[in-house]
Amino acid sequence: MKAGRYEYRWADGTTMVSAPEYVELLMNWIETQIDNEHIFPKKTGEPFPPNFEDFVKRILRKLFRVYAHIYHSHFPKIVTLNEQAHLNTCFHRYLLFVSEFQLVDKEEMVPIQKLVETILKP
Amino acid sequence: MDGADGTVRVKPGRGFETETDVAVSSPVTRQKAAAAKQFIENHYKNYLQGLHERMERRREFQRKVQEAQLPVEEQDEMMRNLARRETEYMRLQRRKIGIDDFELLTVIGKGAFGEVRLCRLRSTSEVYAMKKLKKTEMLSRGQVEHVRSERNLLAEVDSRYIVKLFYSFQDSECLYLIMEYLPGGDIMTLLMREDILSEDVARFYIAESILAIHSIHQHNYVHRDIKPDNLILDKSGHLKLSDFGLCKPLDDKYSSLLLEDDEMLSQDSENQSGKSDADKAPWQMPKEQLLQWKRNRRALAYSTVGTLDYMAPEVLLKKGYGMECDWWSLGAILYEMLVGYPPFCSDDPRITCRKIINWRVCLKFPEEPKISDEARDLICRLLCDVDSRLGTRGVEEIKSHPWFKGTPWDKLYDMEAAYRPIVDGELDTQNFEKFPEVEGSPSEAPQVGPWRKMLTSKDTNFIGFTFKKSDITRSMESSGSADMKSNGSGEAPSLISLLGRINMEEGEGGELNHKT
Repeated sequence: MKAGRYEYRWADGTTMVSAPEYVELLMNWIETQIDNEHIFPKKTGEPFPPNFEDFVKRILRKLFRVYAHIYHSHFPKIVTLNEQAHLNTCFHRYLLFVSEFQLVDKEEMVPIQKLVETILKP
Repeated sequence: MDGADGTVRVKPGRGFETETDVAVSSPVTRQKAAAAKQFIENHYKNYLQGLHERMERRREFQRKVQEAQLPVEEQDEMMRNLARRETEYMRLQRRKIGIDDFELLTVIGKGAFGEVRLCRLRSTSEVYAMKKLKKTEMLSRGQVEHVRSERNLLAEVDSRYIVKLFYSFQDSECLYLIMEYLPGGDIMTLLMREDILSEDVARFYIAESILAIHSIHQHNYVHRDIKPDNLILDKSGHLKLSDFGLCKPLDDKYSSLLLEDDEMLSQDSENQSGKSDADKAPWQMPKEQLLQWKRNRRALAYSTVGTLDYMAPEVLLKKGYGMECDWWSLGAILYEMLVGYPPFCSDDPRITCRKIINWRVCLKFPEEPKISDEARDLICRLLCDVDSRLGTRGVEEIKSHPWFKGTPWDKLYDMEAAYRPIVDGELDTQNFEKFPEVEGSPSEAPQVGPWRKMLTSKDTNFIGFTFKKSDITRSMESSGSADMKSNGSGEAPSLISLLGRINMEEGEGGELNHKT
């Protein structure tokens, strides 16, 4: 999956897949993470694991790649479908959240750095 | 600057690659985009509502804590306690709920679109009524808006006069509404058993119906289908408004009925201008036919046709209607309570339609049973033109009618009900009709979520259906952690009692007993 000059591969670089395949694999993986009660406990009083933050960071870092791909490769089509407000709202919220709690490194956001800086500018 | 092909291009300065091909989107893509937009809008709407409710609870709680005049450190401790419980509550909300969470019990209603049955939530053993609606039937019969309206109303209106919705969810085959179980049966059952009601009993239930109908009107909903089957009794005999009928009467079938009636309508007009044939109305039913109609009443309620008997003429004629159409329905129900059958009763739905539209000549009162002048007057003021109908200018018009003289409007739901149903235990269904448990041939197991895989043309109609009732007091009570200790003197109110008062205040409008 590409975002401009960047290419993301599945399994941290070992498998080259198309964007639809990558997104499908990613969403399935995220779903298993969220449904895993050892990571995201559901019962009252059950504690979160000590490395909970690491799990969250990994999920959010990979999610960024989907946003980068959409903005780089499909934004005109998003506009054609009159969906840009929805996309921008979701990304805006995502970005504010990960910035507030420093969950994604700045280096990871380079593919759409100008957009990121525009949103985060005070 | 526009691109050469007339579409808006991404500005070069942003450093994005320009799409070389901005083809017109395929229907599937447009459909998925529309579904995604709806999903996102629904998500943020729910999120903001939850946020609003949390802030509201915090403000209210803070006010109570300060009024209790506790020491500052105790106040802070209690606020931290509230925050922790809100967090735990949000965790509970994250838990997905589906059909496997329920133990299925007795069927209490069955119709063209699905069924209603008792069920038990496995984790808590609480008993609910599960209304299960087949998606294919919803779509093929144009019921999507109807079921969405019901879900929206029940999710939005939290009132003691309306049956409570606790959960709603779906799988690939069905929609599910998990509702409060009201074991007392419905007013139709009461009427079928009692034949006619005394005016005191009728007055009680019509009054409770007025409060219930007004409750949904205050939220800008028009029920449009008020009838005895939608008036359900709880175990104490108090009435709640619902829609267990599993049908929506006004669909294409009635459009064709009305078309057929056009010719007859003009004839009726001629009749009216000529001599009055009131003495031998062609649609008067012999007593034997009336009895047969009553025996068929329940089956009719569950058919796709349903019953038109309580529907206002402006709804039938599709001339545009407002909230006052529900007051007409109430008038028809009152007539049935006192006389024993609906005012425009017929075996033929077309004749019923015609009678309602010609209510001026068709509304008649039999010699027996005797009813009071006030009751007759009230019925005539509800079964009439919109402009002169009681309730059109506000519910107080109805409440102040002489027939309701002495009605304690503020205490109806706190006093003993006019009729107490027999209910033996929480699983008792004796006040509902019995249905065989025979299951049809089991289709392949329905699939549950995730949403990304359910965006077929069928499922895009039901986005945003999932719902969980916010019952934070209950989830707090189930929490294992203890409330903070009292100050020793027993003066400090417990967290639960403070929240309990808040709910009590909201629900009943009563004043709290402030500490002296």
